[in-house]
Amino acid sequence: MKKLLETVCGLLAGTALFAIMALTFFDVGGRKLLDHSIPGSLELTELLMVVVIFAAMPLVSLRGEHVVFDSLDSYLPTAVRRAQIALVHLLCAAALLALGYLMWQTGGQFAINGDTTAQLQIAKSPFIYGMGILCGLTGLVHLGLIVAPAPELAEGEGVAL
Amino acid sequence: MIEALLGFVAIFALALLRMPLAFSMGLVGIVGIGLTRGWDPALASTAQVVYETGFAYTLSVIPLFILMGNFVARAGLAQELFQAAYAFVGHVRGGLAHATIAACAGFGAICGSSIATAATMSKVAYPPMKKLGYSDSLSTGVIAAGGTLGIMIPPSTIMVIYGIITETNIGKLFAAGVIPGLLTALLMMGAVWYLTSKDPEHAPAGERTSWPDRWKALRNIWGVSLLVVVVLGGIYGGLFTATEGAGFGAAGAFLFAWARRRLTWRILFQVLVESARTTAMLFMLLIAATIFANYINFTSMPGDLKEWITHMGLSPLMIIAAMMFIYVVLGTVMEELTMVLLTIPLFFPIVTALGFDPVWFGVLIVMIVQIGLISPPVGMNMFVMNSLLPGVGLQSIFRGCWPFVLVMIFVLGLLIAFPQLSLWLPSLMK
Repeated sequence: MKKLLETVCGLLAGTALFAIMALTFFDVGGRKLLDHSIPGSLELTELLMVVVIFAAMPLVSLRGEHVVFDSLDSYLPTAVRRAQIALVHLLCAAALLALGYLMWQTGGQFAINGDTTAQLQIAKSPFIYGMGILCGLTGLVHLGLIVAPAPELAEGEGVAL
Repeated sequence: MIEALLGFVAIFALALLRMPLAFSMGLVGIVGIGLTRGWDPALASTAQVVYETGFAYTLSVIPLFILMGNFVARAGLAQELFQAAYAFVGHVRGGLAHATIAACAGFGAICGSSIATAATMSKVAYPPMKKLGYSDSLSTGVIAAGGTLGIMIPPSTIMVIYGIITETNIGKLFAAGVIPGLLTALLMMGAVWYLTSKDPEHAPAGERTSWPDRWKALRNIWGVSLLVVVVLGGIYGGLFTATEGAGFGAAGAFLFAWARRRLTWRILFQVLVESARTTAMLFMLLIAATIFANYINFTSMPGDLKEWITHMGLSPLMIIAAMMFIYVVLGTVMEELTMVLLTIPLFFPIVTALGFDPVWFGVLIVMIVQIGLISPPVGMNMFVMNSLLPGVGLQSIFRGCWPFVLVMIFVLGLLIAFPQLSLWLPSLMK
């Protein structure tokens, strides 16, 4: 289950990121050197960004890579820490499931209005539904983490600075 | 004013309870708007922030620079950089340590992460230093401190984040980091020179490299140089926007890694997913920080703070100095990204109200982050050295870092006293 999630979300996010890179490279290269850009590349990048961010979200939670203030950990008894971690995951799950529902509804509004991107006329609603689904999925990941906590990260793993 | 302060207190409380920062800020922001403005506007504005942050072309600069750094780290370019630096300075006392700092500065010009720079350099620079009898504290201190140059010398993830949350031009921020970064590198070398003069046996000089060999070593770093010239040169010269430059850089770094046969499908997948995860983590923080900032802007706090500052009649420089003092102290115990995201909504309006340049303040923030990353007891660069070099105790790394913390605090003072150090280069940009 975990493996499947990692593979599917990883492939989605990774492919989308590679596509953004290639798209920017060819678009800019084409525009500066050959005076010929890729039509709608801006919009495509925007749609792909949504895929990168939201498909990778469950993976961030799965590996426990969120920025957390954990300096107090060593002062707390194990039992307290376990209860604390369960509570935090419960809260995160609730927040994400609610956000997922909110985005799903927003997607519904976009579908009714028939909003599309300006140039290529791609419907936006599927992407917003997707945001909702992946937020909800990330919420479920947090629920799962109550039962099976994330493994300890190696120092520096997943750090942005 | 009270509502805003309660918001900050709530975030700190949740964060102390180990709630991830993104969730703490987002929840407090939504609940705050809900209680003060009503729940419908709170939910509507949340959906809008999530949607707009997701669909933002300019924000693709974040994953692309992260990707570039990760490809570069895998491409094995660090080895050549180190050898080239060594060819020029290896024959002086502490030559390997000087070469490490120079190589870190070079690596920093293609990588926007301090952790990645330190981690990559530790593989290349630590073994030869160990072999020549350098003390563990000097060698790890130099690598940890040199690594922080990765975020001052552009590109820089933290500058991009600062640029986005404060709406400051990222290209100008990048230009502003060049001179402070090089100055820091130079003064760090000065510190190495001083440290090794007290303990010469632990930092023997290497053999002098002949000029033909030096040129050969320089030729080996053409890849790095090309990336720097195209990406940063393009951004400064007005040929690219930061986003376009990042896309070019990432693609270039990918091609290098591929041409050097460092990429298998498996590694490519790892690099892409790792970069996507870091991106997602940062975007959740950005979304949450935006929601929270929306709440703060609804309150009377920004106005109250400005009024309070003018009433106090303190000199603007005193206020900046006080902020920097708070940052240095906080940085010893706090994770730096948390510190910056939590304090910017509070400090940035004050800074602009006092008439300071946001670009200059951005450079000070980066310097603060650099200091925080290597100041004990909590400093990510030191922890990374500790986990990558299990044979070296945290105590030795702490000892090795102190001199460089002092050097950087000195540079911070210089940057405050002479804003031209940061602002001269960006002023030349179109």
